Amino acid sequence: MKMSNKNMDTGKITKRDLKKVYRRWLLGGQIGWNYERMQGLCYCFSMMPVLRKLYTKEEDLKKAVKQHLQFFNTEPDMAHLILGANVAIEESQGLEAVETVTAIKTGLMGPFAGIGDTIFGVIAGTVFGSIAAYMALNGNSLGIWIWLAWNIARWFIRWEFTKLGYAQGLKLVAAMEGKLKSMTEAASILGLTVVGALIPTVVRPTVPAVFQSREVTMEVQGILDQIMPALIPVALVAFVYWLLGRKKMNSTKAIWILLALSIILGAFGILG
Amino acid sequence: MYMQITFIQTLLLTIYAFVAIYDALETDIGLSKPIQAGFFTGLVMGDVTLGLAVGATLQLMILGVSTYGGASIPDFMTGSIIGTAFGVISGKGIEFAIGLAVPIGLLLVQLDVLARFTNTFFQHRADKYADEGNFKKVETMNILGIIPWGLSRAIPVFIALLFGHEIVDSLVKVFPAWLMSGLSVAGRVLPALGIAILLRYLPVKKYSAYLLIGFVLAAYLKIPMVGVAIIGLALGLLVYQRSQREAQNAFAGGVNEDE
Repeated sequence: MKMSNKNMDTGKITKRDLKKVYRRWLLGGQIGWNYERMQGLCYCFSMMPVLRKLYTKEEDLKKAVKQHLQFFNTEPDMAHLILGANVAIEESQGLEAVETVTAIKTGLMGPFAGIGDTIFGVIAGTVFGSIAAYMALNGNSLGIWIWLAWNIARWFIRWEFTKLGYAQGLKLVAAMEGKLKSMTEAASILGLTVVGALIPTVVRPTVPAVFQSREVTMEVQGILDQIMPALIPVALVAFVYWLLGRKKMNSTKAIWILLALSIILGAFGILG
Repeated sequence: MYMQITFIQTLLLTIYAFVAIYDALETDIGLSKPIQAGFFTGLVMGDVTLGLAVGATLQLMILGVSTYGGASIPDFMTGSIIGTAFGVISGKGIEFAIGLAVPIGLLLVQLDVLARFTNTFFQHRADKYADEGNFKKVETMNILGIIPWGLSRAIPVFIALLFGHEIVDSLVKVFPAWLMSGLSVAGRVLPALGIAILLRYLPVKKYSAYLLIGFVLAAYLKIPMVGVAIIGLALGLLVYQRSQREAQNAFAGGVNEDE
């Protein structure tokens, strides 16, 4: 992560300006979220300090502000890369770069959302959430603090992203693409390993039924355990996985189905 | 028989809900995660173990699920707060708490939708101020977005806890024993949903081997979760390094910016 392309001391934009953009997005990058333009209002809000500095004529500033109020939506951590690159481009080309900036914003927000949601949402949520939940079920809050530490570390990652985006400018796409792709792959492997371990540890229903014939008593759960540990959890996950793949099924419906199923099977003593 | 909830407790949890949704959108230290909300509510209500158990169960239902692309998801943060608080008030414990938290979380999705919808108003005001050259107001419009967001979480918590005693009283009367035992089964079954959702997101067909490795590590070798995560990290690093090497060999400079 070199920063050779841009020198922050010679341009119009200083490190302090860049930090303002970073701070505004960190503290206000989604509060104005709405269905019509999603993060559009927030993006404009975050760019404001730089826009004010670059465009001293009111007409120019107005044009730029209206430009940045348009639709935008991506994963909040990854947005810092786009913001950084945007600042660099507008600093060097001014209002003439309007089309370039729109192109880079709309071109990157989709792929960056995909990567960011996978890494910062799905994988990090799975790994840290599993550890926290696993410990919490044993009455231990330590996992919550570990998760908190990671989330605070993300503030620094987000500042690094802002600087990286600024340094790379237009080259951002090429610089990030290959790396992020293999990082997403690697993170998916980590995620899947943890998910595999989650199945036998946090899905915990058992079969309490006991069969009795003369002197012999057979505990169903004991037999199941001999076949494979956590057979019921595996079967349940497979069932829900299949269920979610059906047409017109969504997670909310699946919750209701599982609730009803648990209550019925619990009432008859089939699951415990 | 019941524990009373004080006004201070109600207020603390209401403020927490407001701050937590702001945190979810911005600073994201995780206050809006069901497990953190359950933990905090447990602290405030004086039963940390219950809060952790309720929060963890709800957390496992939505592991790795977030508001991708602006989609609304069950509000288990608010569910976790109200469920835990009612669990403590009623003295009925974790099954009762989860049994309440899940439907509450599902119902409150509507308020998330309402908040996102309401903010469109501020976007339109911002457009108008931009036309007038009143840029300070454009910025203010973004900041005002915090109000619909915050209230969408704070109001349900405040109302539920303000009438906490009465609500719990009538709920306990309609909860028969078989329902309670069913809910305790549900608490052990529902994490299967979170896992299945994850498997739908992750490239499970391509990397099914790692799922099996994780399973064996935990089910047969009884390695704790942190240990499994470290092994998973090691496996991921190996694949990452290999793909970087391959990329370097295949990719000898020459960059196309048009992708």
